[in-house]
Amino acid sequence: MLLRATPPDGALDPAQLVATLKRSVPARTAYVEVRYSGLLERPLILRGEMEYLGPGRLAKRVDAPYHEQTAIADGRASLRRGDKPERSLPLTQIPELDSFLRGFSALLGGDAAALARDFALTASGSSTRWQLLLKPRDARLARRVTSLRVDGSGSEPWCFRTEDADGDVGFLLVGPLAASTLSPRVSSMQVDALCRGIARK
Amino acid sequence: MRAELRKAILVAAWLLALAAPGLLAWQNLRISGDLRSFMPPAQTPDQQLLMEQIGDGPGSRLLLLAISGADEATLAELSRGLVAALKADVQFEQAFNGAFDPATLDSDWLPYRWLLSPTLDSHTLDAAFLADQLQQRVADLASPAAGLLKPLLARDPTLEVLALAQRWSPPKAPQVRDGVWFSSDGRALLLAQTRAAGFDPAKQQEAIAALQAAFAALPERGVAELEISGPGWFSARIQAQTQREADRIGLASSVGFMLLLLLAYRSVPALLLGALPVLSGAVLGLVALALVFGQAHGITLAFGFTLLGVAQEYPLRVLSHRRAGEDPLTSVRALWPLLATAIVSAAIAYLAFLASGVPGLQQLAVFTIAGLLAAGFSTRYLLPRVLPLRVHDVAGARWLVAATGWLDHVPRPRWLPWLLLLVGAVVLHRAPGPMWQNDLAALTPVPRDLLQRDAALRSELGAPDVRYLLVLHGADAEAVLALSQRIEPEIDALIARGALDAVELPSRYLPSLATQRTRQAKLPDRDTLAVALASASDGLPFRSGLFAPFLDDVEAARGLAPLTPAVFAKAPFGARLASMLVERKGETLGLATLSGVHDAAALESFTQTSGGALRLLDLKAASESLVADYRERILRALGVALLLLVVTVGVALRSLRRAWRVLAPMSLATVLVVVVERGSGISLSLFHLVAVTLAAGLGLHYALFFEHRSRDAAEAQRTLHATLVCVAAALLVFGLQALSSLPVLRAIGLTVALGVGFHFCLSILMARDGKD
Repeated sequence: MLLRATPPDGALDPAQLVATLKRSVPARTAYVEVRYSGLLERPLILRGEMEYLGPGRLAKRVDAPYHEQTAIADGRASLRRGDKPERSLPLTQIPELDSFLRGFSALLGGDAAALARDFALTASGSSTRWQLLLKPRDARLARRVTSLRVDGSGSEPWCFRTEDADGDVGFLLVGPLAASTLSPRVSSMQVDALCRGIARK
Repeated sequence: MRAELRKAILVAAWLLALAAPGLLAWQNLRISGDLRSFMPPAQTPDQQLLMEQIGDGPGSRLLLLAISGADEATLAELSRGLVAALKADVQFEQAFNGAFDPATLDSDWLPYRWLLSPTLDSHTLDAAFLADQLQQRVADLASPAAGLLKPLLARDPTLEVLALAQRWSPPKAPQVRDGVWFSSDGRALLLAQTRAAGFDPAKQQEAIAALQAAFAALPERGVAELEISGPGWFSARIQAQTQREADRIGLASSVGFMLLLLLAYRSVPALLLGALPVLSGAVLGLVALALVFGQAHGITLAFGFTLLGVAQEYPLRVLSHRRAGEDPLTSVRALWPLLATAIVSAAIAYLAFLASGVPGLQQLAVFTIAGLLAAGFSTRYLLPRVLPLRVHDVAGARWLVAATGWLDHVPRPRWLPWLLLLVGAVVLHRAPGPMWQNDLAALTPVPRDLLQRDAALRSELGAPDVRYLLVLHGADAEAVLALSQRIEPEIDALIARGALDAVELPSRYLPSLATQRTRQAKLPDRDTLAVALASASDGLPFRSGLFAPFLDDVEAARGLAPLTPAVFAKAPFGARLASMLVERKGETLGLATLSGVHDAAALESFTQTSGGALRLLDLKAASESLVADYRERILRALGVALLLLVVTVGVALRSLRRAWRVLAPMSLATVLVVVVERGSGISLSLFHLVAVTLAAGLGLHYALFFEHRSRDAAEAQRTLHATLVCVAAALLVFGLQALSSLPVLRAIGLTVALGVGFHFCLSILMARDGKD
């Protein structure tokens, strides 16, 4: 829709794609997060709301199955879980999280140049069903995260898929997918299909 | 020509005779740079502890390191690389950079976490506690920390390992970035603990060289730079700097000294041969040290070579007293009675140091006495046999005749010495500043900017203060650990009040056996725990059977023998505690290092409430009291030396009145040196005392030779010539040292130069007769 120069062969230009993702501030979205781990017999499914408050400022609230509030602002990450006291930590102490969040923030800010500094970008699909693949350039981040994949349509991201170095996979479904109803034992194949828009439940 | 050949052979034989024992002594003599072997022997267990802790305590063996000049990721890599290299180097006991070390998670040691972690003091492993923990782990898995926690979770769902790692990291650790310590201005920070004592400059130099080589060998090094600080680095640096400056001054004064001798005696062979007696003295001094003690302290040797400077006068006297056409042996024989008196009385005076009971001073006495005797007897029996027959007779030179005439008629008011003494007493009484400088470090000061840098690094690293130690007394290690646990709340209160920043107590690493047993008793058996765990994980998504390793660990922990310090020391993380517990006759001492002491008085009053179980050891105050004790012994030895001198000189001159004429100017000149230095606000240190002693030795010569009634005018001229050459040489050598930027060299140089001036003038006034 808003995508202007789509190259004739149908391949998407990742920089242009990122530019269309720029959110106006503040941007709020409900999400459903599905996490798979070798330690768990069924996925961990979290629901809540995410907030983008401008470059370097993110907040994430978990409403179910427990309450937790995470916020990133002014170079610090803070965590409040249930009624326990808030813990906070400078981001410099966790550089891999720092570069991950920089990437996330650059994505939501539509800043393709900043994103390309930290990640190798490839785009595929069509303007109505696209996929953006991010591979970390920073070796420290790469030791934790193998890849980040964003699925979306037009200027809307629908799904963020993170693959950890140990093979564990997490999905963050936003926008129209945030309202998806998922069975407690939904498989990662099923969530993946949902993200790619192959099958809808 | 046969005579010349014989002399050449004799010189060669002389040198050879020195070379062999000299080399042997040098190889067998262990030279220690450790300040402790120079100090008086410890009398009390306290002093013994102090001696061990000066330089050997955990705090003073710490080197503070900072790496800068690259991006953060590279600095972190360099930090990890350097720690790995240092851990493989036997010169280093340990190295830290804040990294969470997987080696501390050795599988066999993991069950012990239940005995070491304080969790069980306030919780039990019941369903409620576990349910809370497991719910948090679920949330952790969805958090950014998941990557770090996942490998631990099955075995350690309550994260005791992290709790212990936090407890064991330095109390005021710097911020961690990329897994290692960083300073607020972005330098990677590390701590390295050497095996060598902090105040052993030679060993520290070796360790620092190894450290720098290890850093230079790191592949990622690039243009990154390593900064080093800490007591060991300072002592190595000061040693090197003092050595450099002493060498430079030594070279300049040697050249000047040789030019002076050439001017005085107009003979190159005389100049070279004149060096042989002192060389012989030095070699035989070393041989005597090697035979009697087997080892010597570096400072003893430095002092000894200084005191041996007196011996340079012996050949000079001989050269000045040569007559034209006279056989050198004849000249020496004429001179010998007086020279022998000087040599023997000095040697006897130094015997006083032997009785001081201080190894450093005894070594000094042995070295100096052997050196003086060897130099003296070689001047008498060897030197004349190799000196050339042709000689430049100094007597009759026009300037010398005039100078002798002038000295003969210079006014010698009898009241002048007494007036000087009176003025001196008044000045001494009113002199500014303390009489004595007890802080040895004040003479080898560390530049202010380096001290500031050290303080900044120390506070960033939260590294312990090197001055204070909290000592915990107990009948055994168990009692010390129990005491350490008991005072934890009070220490925390002191920290909260701002008296100090942090204390590293032994119980931080190992709780007492009793506490370990109490914790152990709270561990449920396997079945009970399995039921509680099942109930706690009800409704949570964890894989069934995931926590089997946790059940195994708790079961294993129930059967463990509680950790004693001896067993704990064998653990990968046990070295720290081992250096904190010291066995003493019938008791164990715990040494807690303190960081950022702001209110020593508050700490002191806290320890006084303990009934003697706790003590604040102020290493600086204690070492100053040792120096004061040491000085006391030197002063007493010098007093005895003076008495011995009076007797020896009296016997040698067979007249108390003549002895008075020799010793009075020497004593008054010594007093005047002290008066001038005190009057200008200088506090006297051990180095000043040694310099005063050397000057007195020189002054004894001036007075002895001036007091001696000359046979004829030419002989009086030769005596004056000899004395003038000696005075000029001493002023040249020590005057140059007085110009040094280093206080220790300045102290020696200024004192000797001043002393030589006073001794010369007063000897003329009081020992030499005028001709009226």
